[in-house]
Amino acid sequence: MGSSNRKKNEKAKDFKKAKLRVGKGKPQASNFTDTSFKSKAIVVNQQSLSETAPDPVEQFKHNLSLASSSRSDTQRKEALAYLTTQLSAKPPNNPVGTSAILTKLLPLISDSYTSVRGQLLKLFRALPPAGVSPDVEKALMYVRAGMTHLSPEIRTDTLNVLEWLLDVAGDEVVSCPGGWMKTLNSFSAMLGWNPSIGNATGSKGWTTASKATLGATKGGNAQARQIQILARFLQAGFKPDNQVAYDPQAFWDNIYRMPRRPNPFAYLNLFGPARDEEGEMYPDRESRQRVFYSRWNKAITKGLDEAKKEGGAVGRAAAVLDQTLKEGMGDYKGEPES
Amino acid sequence: MKRKVAALEKVDADLVSLQYKIRRDPKSYAQEFYDQYLAYDAQKQIFLSAPTTASAEDVKNFHDLVDMIAHVADCYPEMSGQFAEDLKALITQHHATLDPELREKVVGSLALIKRKEIIDSTSLLTTLFPILVSTPSKSLRALLFQRILSDLREANSKSINHRLNRTIQTVLHNLITSDKTSPKAIWAVKLTRELWKRQIWTDAKPVDVMKEACLADNEKVVVGGVRFFLGGDKEREELEDDDSDAENVDIKRVAHQVGINKKSKKREKVYKKAVEKVKRQEKKKHAPHPLNFSALHLLHDPQGFAEQLFQKHLQNTKAKLTLEHKLLVLQLVTRLVGLHKLTVISLYSWFAKYLTPKQASVTSFLASLAQGTHNLVPPDALEPLIVKIANEFVSEAAASEVAAAGINAIREICARQPLAMNETLLQDLVQYRKSKDKGVMMAAKGLLSLYREVGADLLKKRDRGKDATIGLRTGEIKNRKFGEEDAGGIEGLELLAKWKEEEKKRKRDAKEANGEGKEGEDSEEEEEDDGWEVASLESSDSGGWINVSDDEDEAPPPKKPRTDSEAPELVDADKENSEEDAAAALQRMTELATTSILTPADLAKLQELRLQAKVDGAMGNRSNKHVKALAARHDDDGLTAEQIELPSKLRKTTKEERVAMAKEGKPERGEHKSTQAIRRSKKDAEGKSTTNKEKARKKNFLMTIGKAKAKNKRSLTETRRVLKGHIDRSKRGGKRGNIGC
Repeated sequence: MGSSNRKKNEKAKDFKKAKLRVGKGKPQASNFTDTSFKSKAIVVNQQSLSETAPDPVEQFKHNLSLASSSRSDTQRKEALAYLTTQLSAKPPNNPVGTSAILTKLLPLISDSYTSVRGQLLKLFRALPPAGVSPDVEKALMYVRAGMTHLSPEIRTDTLNVLEWLLDVAGDEVVSCPGGWMKTLNSFSAMLGWNPSIGNATGSKGWTTASKATLGATKGGNAQARQIQILARFLQAGFKPDNQVAYDPQAFWDNIYRMPRRPNPFAYLNLFGPARDEEGEMYPDRESRQRVFYSRWNKAITKGLDEAKKEGGAVGRAAAVLDQTLKEGMGDYKGEPES
Repeated sequence: MKRKVAALEKVDADLVSLQYKIRRDPKSYAQEFYDQYLAYDAQKQIFLSAPTTASAEDVKNFHDLVDMIAHVADCYPEMSGQFAEDLKALITQHHATLDPELREKVVGSLALIKRKEIIDSTSLLTTLFPILVSTPSKSLRALLFQRILSDLREANSKSINHRLNRTIQTVLHNLITSDKTSPKAIWAVKLTRELWKRQIWTDAKPVDVMKEACLADNEKVVVGGVRFFLGGDKEREELEDDDSDAENVDIKRVAHQVGINKKSKKREKVYKKAVEKVKRQEKKKHAPHPLNFSALHLLHDPQGFAEQLFQKHLQNTKAKLTLEHKLLVLQLVTRLVGLHKLTVISLYSWFAKYLTPKQASVTSFLASLAQGTHNLVPPDALEPLIVKIANEFVSEAAASEVAAAGINAIREICARQPLAMNETLLQDLVQYRKSKDKGVMMAAKGLLSLYREVGADLLKKRDRGKDATIGLRTGEIKNRKFGEEDAGGIEGLELLAKWKEEEKKRKRDAKEANGEGKEGEDSEEEEEDDGWEVASLESSDSGGWINVSDDEDEAPPPKKPRTDSEAPELVDADKENSEEDAAAALQRMTELATTSILTPADLAKLQELRLQAKVDGAMGNRSNKHVKALAARHDDDGLTAEQIELPSKLRKTTKEERVAMAKEGKPERGEHKSTQAIRRSKKDAEGKSTTNKEKARKKNFLMTIGKAKAKNKRSLTETRRVLKGHIDRSKRGGKRGNIGC
């Protein structure tokens, strides 16, 4: 009973009018919520406050960073498109240099959106060929990663990039460290013409390594394309070294002049980790032929035979490859007997 | 990351599903694995070409590929031969700059391929340990430490992997000894301590590692090592106790649930597992306790160690340990000296300058001094210290706590080396038992009672007390000379023999009372026939290792008669009688020791009896918590500052403590409720059901009204039948009876 009085009072309180007083301010409502806050600094996220239009250099850099790190695929694509127009303008507007562009954009080779990859290829084609050659080794790493990617679309698009690389810097592609053997490895993985798989699994069954899952899911068209690019790659590798006319000055230049090529002592491998057989560089035709003969000739010939039998696009591509092999390996005499 | 998730929706193949497929059918997916291995190789190259500036995308790709390959590497040992080496090289060279997530993945993958037995423990540990020692990242250190620890535990789980242990112990030893000043050795200390705690390493080698740590130059390492010796064994015991307490499965409950719930294979499995677990626990409980030596006992050359420690960290004026750490080292040194009865003479003179009341944490110094005293310390070395303590601490002008601490310290020292006291000082100190302060009074009384036992002739005649006076007169109490030791034997063994005899007698009596007297006599006769054999038979009869304690529980031993018979023995004035007793006791003792093997249960009983005898001897039969605690202190346990301060802390409890004590064990009273209601809600919370009485009380009135009305209309015979039925049922214990189906 003691509480009823208190309750009565509480109820009565609701109907009492609050007295307003001068200088006191309004009494706050019972359901009032304090929404004020304090902050030492205000951070405005991702907003440019400059009043003037950004200068072209900044814009270029901004787009470059957008292309390499934006979350949205359309934004990436648009940034790439912007960069492409800038690069293909006359004269090309490239404030950061080809090398920086490549470093930033090469990871996009294995981007998951087809449109982005397509645009990327356009951008690459707009790059000046001379500027690409120093970065070929790096580019090849990404190409190899793309060629063995899980998704077949990415594999196919990566082949386009490789084709472009062969166009602009074929010599460097086949002669840079790892460029010859490792790329051939990737090709064999792509085509399923692999000599080492059967041994590795210990199965000597009557089926060849499976082609059912990743390599040739898109039918013969993709395989034809792969064989075609392989042929181009081998062509570049077996291209006869152009004979340099004897130049009496060359010897002295070699000794006393600063070398003009980038990384002229790469073959010494002064700073990198030790290379194995696959990662080694094969700078001249003969060494490439030797390695090709010892490691790949059998597997590729076998695969080639099968491909020829298939006919159609694959058969035609195989015929081209066959031709390339004949031309390239025709003058190889095999291992010198020792 | 988010972008990658979106990408997975777009690209129709992902590594997780590939991994799943490979697991199911490795042969068919060899080609795919090879592709991914090449992809991994390419990504690795991309990554290694610029490990510090690799883009997030590349890192993510590499992370995923490493993960996938680590999971299926065991299916293709030939293709992935280089994988383990790659990972090792990667983490060893780039651990400082790697992305944390990738770093974690690499460490995890290494552990994974170790579990798949692609690499062995040794190579894993020798890869991870150097990184643990050198990495600047805290999170990586935590991860590696945990990994190393779990790997070592796993390697030792089935049987002790001596080779691995030796390798790692050597690595740790080298780590500490190679560079004494480096703080890296702290990891060796941490690892050793943890493994010691879990009883994975229990031999002398880890103790040696810790010994080296104690003698290092880095303060942290030194303190780590010292703390190990001071607390490592206690930690180990505590962990063991925790383990045995944890996770008790209520088998009855599980069985009940199985009986009620729908039967399914899963439930059956759960039940089987529970049963197995309980069995395992039982087995563990009954397994003989592993005989683990404490670290202090496993030390090789304790004398050299104590001397080195003392010279290096305490005597050396250039040593820059803080006071707290110095005290720890001192504690260890004195513990060693006391435990192994070492002789480090310079230690005692070193103490002199710290024994003033103004010295910070002086009670710890006092405790250490007492701890470092034993009966082989020359009294000449101790006497000046005792005099100094008496002069500095014990005076009318000093505060009562100071005086109490001083007297306590003197008592503790003299308990270990009574010869260090001289007559005048003792008589002076004993006077303080008239002090008004309780702490001082108790401390002085303690000193007095100590000397009544060990050196009564130093006391004034009227202080000696009855027992000591008689003992002195009869020559029963003799003063020990310096270095004198008891003739060999096991302390308290005669007590055990006596107890056993009494037990036997009691059992026989019980048997006779049950009318099986004949058998009892037979067995008795047999015993007398061939003593040796039956003694061992006897022990096996009573359950060997464990069950002895069991029958203790069943029938508590008659305490009264035993203590009665003992007390007069101790005080017995008759010389001849006592001599006879002593001879008889000696004979009994040798008999027991030579004719039977003491089981652990026996030893436990022995310890208990010894304790009881000590308490009885000190206090008559009064039970006093303090005295009991004092008697229970094992020789191995160190002396702490609290024990020196103890009586000065005799002030009463605070109000909060008293309130808490009063509340202890009573139900929580959030609101005003009856005890019944509180009990009821507690039961509800535990998910227990109501009693029949409660159900009846709660039953809806309208449901009972019909029966109640009908009851009124019963005839007399009907009523009688009902009542009879009720009595009958209650006798049977319910409708169906309660005599077990």
